Amino acid sequence: MSSVLERLDRLPRRNLTVLAIKGISTLVPGGWHNITRAEELISDVLGSSDPELIRQVRTRADALSQARHEGYGRALSLYDAVNRSQKAAGGLRLLANVGGALPLVKRVADLTPTSETLQAADLSLKVAAEMLAFTQVNGLPGDSFGDFAASLGEYAGEARVRMAALICFDALLPLGDQALQRLDGLLGGVGKRELRQLPAYAGLASMLPGRGDEAHLTFLRRGVDQWLGWAGGFSSQLGLSGQKAVQALESTLGPWQGGFKQMATFLDAFTDTYKHTGVQAVARRLVERAAAEI
Amino acid sequence: MARTLRWGVGLLLVVSLTIGAFLLLPFRTWLPGGTVADVPTSQVVNGTAFNRLFPEPDAGDQLVFTQEKRGFSEARLKHGDQVKALLAISDVTTAPEARRKFEISDSRLQGWPLVEQGQQATALLVADRFQVKVIGQGEGLNAEQRQALIGRFNIRGLAALEPVT
Repeated sequence: MSSVLERLDRLPRRNLTVLAIKGISTLVPGGWHNITRAEELISDVLGSSDPELIRQVRTRADALSQARHEGYGRALSLYDAVNRSQKAAGGLRLLANVGGALPLVKRVADLTPTSETLQAADLSLKVAAEMLAFTQVNGLPGDSFGDFAASLGEYAGEARVRMAALICFDALLPLGDQALQRLDGLLGGVGKRELRQLPAYAGLASMLPGRGDEAHLTFLRRGVDQWLGWAGGFSSQLGLSGQKAVQALESTLGPWQGGFKQMATFLDAFTDTYKHTGVQAVARRLVERAAAEI
Repeated sequence: MARTLRWGVGLLLVVSLTIGAFLLLPFRTWLPGGTVADVPTSQVVNGTAFNRLFPEPDAGDQLVFTQEKRGFSEARLKHGDQVKALLAISDVTTAPEARRKFEISDSRLQGWPLVEQGQQATALLVADRFQVKVIGQGEGLNAEQRQALIGRFNIRGLAALEPVT
């Protein structure tokens, strides 16, 4: 298994994913810098470009990411699981969109999960994966719940562009501008059957706390409740909406003629935004630790 | 006949390997590679013990804990939205090579060896076991500011820590 920093080095410098994130980052103050070189990240954290120090940090970071107990590798496999299923679902929906007219493919169209309930369940799985990854990477920092909440807020703030992408691509575009307000109601309609239809669930089920679909559903609803409070404030502070998201994306991807939902499907099928920014976020925390331990 | 026998032996091999793998699964934590440098977690001080030893932030500043693992705790010192420094305490049991840089150091802080690493990092080794580190972020801090920050950790409390099993 390759280490976190090797994965960082292999991230693309310029492709559809990078352009999509660049587009969304125009909505977020502070912007986004696509760091894809481990050396650059290390010298950024350490405030020094001494090659010997950088080598030490890198060695330590690799040792940390190889150790299973430390959770850095596990966080990446969470992101991978979500990304794989997002692409699979996106591909199916794309097929349904394109080939809805052809009799043979029409059967596929009937099978594809397009309902809003499923979309809401998908979003809740992503939020849950995000929280699990947070505890894997950072542990449970601080001595009180207040400390923990502050730490979660800090992490989310650092990953502002990542969160903006999550809100836009998985909530506002497919579910409309009232997505965050409606999410609670939509999740109420999610049952075992809908959950089982999601490809992401199969990959994540073993990593979610609790046994059985019911326990997992409860966990997802509670996780989303926590996240909604933060995400609502964040998106109203930035004034995020489907319209703004599409305009921001058009600034890098070029003009878009289709609807919001098609845009969401297109992004699901062809970009890895969630995994891309996930690797970068994990790598930064890993390097911050390695730099402190050498 | 020989052919069926070969197939039989092959199948038996596959089945026994699969069963063996499943039997080993619960003992995965015992296999090497689970922990950093293969040091058992019980020999490493838990990061929770470090949290209360961090310095109290000045008025207007804020200390946000960011990571807590076995043998490690890290916090950010922030002023408004600006991150001023990373503060960390780590147990060097899993990283013995980190001790080496202190051997040639002449400077002392409260009796413990102090080392500068590059332009933005200062480290202190307490009780030959715990490393306290301050790394300046953003605009950065000068060496005196970093050393003053390290001095405000509860160093005596840190030296008295024992690994809890």
